[in-house]
Amino acid sequence: MIRWGIAMAVVAACVGYLVYSASGGSSEYYLTVSELRSHSPAAGDVRVAGVVQDDIQRSEGGLHLRFTEKDGTASMLVDYTGTVPDIFRPGITVVADGRLGADGVFHARAVLAKCPSRFSTTPYTQ
Amino acid sequence: MILAFLGSGALLAGLVLAAFSALLSFWAGSAQNGVMIQVGRRAFYATAVMILGASVLLESALLTHDFSLAYVVEHSDLSTPTALVAAAFYGGQEGSLLYWALILGILGSASLLASARIGLRLAAYAAGIMAVILTFFLVVLVLVASPFDVLQITPPDGLGLNPVLRDGGMLIHPPVVLAGFASFAIPFSFAAAALLAGRSDAAWIAHTRRFALVAWGLQSTGLVLGMWWAYHVLGWGGYWGWDPVENVAFMPWLATTAYLHSSQVQERRGRLRGWNFGLVILAFLLVVFGTFIVRSGIVPSVHTFAVSSIGPWFFGFLGVCLVFSVGLLVFRAGGLKSRGEPAPAVSREGAFALQNLLLIGVIAVVLWGTMLPLVSGMLGQPRVVGAAYYERAAGPLFVALLALMAAGPLVPWRHAGAPFWRSMLWPAGAFVLMLAVLLLAGVRSVPALLGIPLALAVACTVVYEYARAAGRWRLAGGGWSRAVAMVGKRRRRYGAYLAHLGLAVLVLGLAASHFWQQEKDVALQPGQQVSVAGYALTYAGLQNRELADHSELVASMTLGDQTLEPARATYAGLGGQSLTHVAISSSPIADVYIVLVGTSGDGSASFRIFVNPLVSWIWAGGVIIILGVLLGNAGERRIVVALAAAPVRSPVGAS
Repeated sequence: MIRWGIAMAVVAACVGYLVYSASGGSSEYYLTVSELRSHSPAAGDVRVAGVVQDDIQRSEGGLHLRFTEKDGTASMLVDYTGTVPDIFRPGITVVADGRLGADGVFHARAVLAKCPSRFSTTPYTQ
Repeated sequence: MILAFLGSGALLAGLVLAAFSALLSFWAGSAQNGVMIQVGRRAFYATAVMILGASVLLESALLTHDFSLAYVVEHSDLSTPTALVAAAFYGGQEGSLLYWALILGILGSASLLASARIGLRLAAYAAGIMAVILTFFLVVLVLVASPFDVLQITPPDGLGLNPVLRDGGMLIHPPVVLAGFASFAIPFSFAAAALLAGRSDAAWIAHTRRFALVAWGLQSTGLVLGMWWAYHVLGWGGYWGWDPVENVAFMPWLATTAYLHSSQVQERRGRLRGWNFGLVILAFLLVVFGTFIVRSGIVPSVHTFAVSSIGPWFFGFLGVCLVFSVGLLVFRAGGLKSRGEPAPAVSREGAFALQNLLLIGVIAVVLWGTMLPLVSGMLGQPRVVGAAYYERAAGPLFVALLALMAAGPLVPWRHAGAPFWRSMLWPAGAFVLMLAVLLLAGVRSVPALLGIPLALAVACTVVYEYARAAGRWRLAGGGWSRAVAMVGKRRRRYGAYLAHLGLAVLVLGLAASHFWQQEKDVALQPGQQVSVAGYALTYAGLQNRELADHSELVASMTLGDQTLEPARATYAGLGGQSLTHVAISSSPIADVYIVLVGTSGDGSASFRIFVNPLVSWIWAGGVIIILGVLLGNAGERRIVVALAAAPVRSPVGAS
């Protein structure tokens, strides 16, 4: 019983250390555009949720994108190179993962869309 | 109209029957009234029949396009292929809850029919608990999320299914995942019933283990199918993103994996009783918690879920289950003292105990990552963690688990002597050999240098065990009938080894594609060539194709003598939503995975091209695991009979 307790304590300590060291370096703030605007930009990457506006500019064969992400009144310009999810278009909510540059443009490493799941069709309204 | 009326009626009748079955089963169980126990059980079967009836009605409403039902309108339309219309049964919130109840009704009935040996009282309590769970689902289905709600005006056509879901994977992935989720309720009910009845003899272990293995097999299949679907449909080149939705499916699987191993310690050595109860209960609580997380949308996820009114119901249900389970464990655990004498640390018992602790550690890591947005959101600005967190925190635990998998099957029960250390030379040799090969090949990443050789060592251990069995077989005289008999006698063991082998193959696929994935973004003119990781691809040109419910812009790429056709489909019916069709050239060595990113008027196109090594090993490993589960589960009966015949070694002392 005592050995069982010791083994538990050792594993728990290891797991605690792993969780602590891993989440320290890689956790990111999850914000809306207006929250990003009202806080001073945090150091490191953040994830910012907002609605894609009607000004998507594509270049380099569609791989490079510039668009405005808006939330209520606050908006920001997002610069991104890479593939976007299929449902990416004006009006959908996306989460941009990256950081706000000194130029005031948000440089995204990844753009995630809220994926339409099988539970999310809009209710039928008459 | 009449259909909706009948369907609601069936659900209501099911609810009454389920509540009746629950009350009667508990009362008759505690009063030891055999006749009433039978009545309670029949009421459970009747509930299952009512749910089946409602399911048949919903399915026929979908197939006959009865657009008077809101559910049919919201999840299908006239242009959707018939198979996918049928799949809409479990494609929406209400239908998926009905499907869940259906699986619980069917598996619950099967578990009661097969419970002859575990004693009337225990079976009655189990029937009562399952009936309570069904009552909860039926209350939600009747009051909050009825699939039989009728629209005031019948529209001419439905809204249709989202294009992302218009895929063959939709036919198999969700039903298996949902069935896996539902099936964890069965071992939970029998575990809680055993605690209530105050007994946990060998027949109970075998029965619970059997249904835990069913749940584990379904969940394993669901997880692999989910990865397969994400890889083939979503077009981001990967298969696992540590999204909350994936995490909540993974955690009960981990808890049940732990139980399937530690229950052997109880079976063979009479130890870890309370712990085993805890694991079965934990698996179910994780399922309810996961369902709550997923359906209520309280955690940011790439999957959005309709913010629905069922969230609070599941929260309440989670609370009730938690209080009930913890109460049971606290008040009944007094009688769960281990009887067997403790074993030395280096023994099978020790290996299982350590494996269990590590698996609980992985659950803690995943749970923390999933809950972090909630916890940090309560304290201030929500924080989220990405894949890097899970890799860093869970990676070392996975490595330790692999090392245990390589050594564990060779460690004897009670005491490890010289033969064990000699047999360890095989996996150790495989490890060192692979490590040397990787080092010579210039690999310097520590996780890769540990994970891949360890996976090989796991496989080596399994092969060693099979070779030992083959040696015994040859010594006994060989022959096909003897081989079948020998495997048949120890199906469980050989099934488990097969599952280990499958996992080793799967881990090799995961590791190789994780560490050595190559990725390139290119824009090409027709006729231009590009080379990625030694694969030369030529872009031939674009063409447009009109199909029944959508049009496709198809790019042709040649790779050797193959033509690959990545495409973008546009669905006119759904506001012009477009969808990527990934083109994959799969071989045992690597997949060439092409996504068409964009096109321009002059015929040029841009692509994202991945070369993913050994991805097909993941699917192969998944198939081997399932075969192992099938082999292992088929062999339970003999053991149940043998164990039930033996004197009950140690009934739980409580009550």
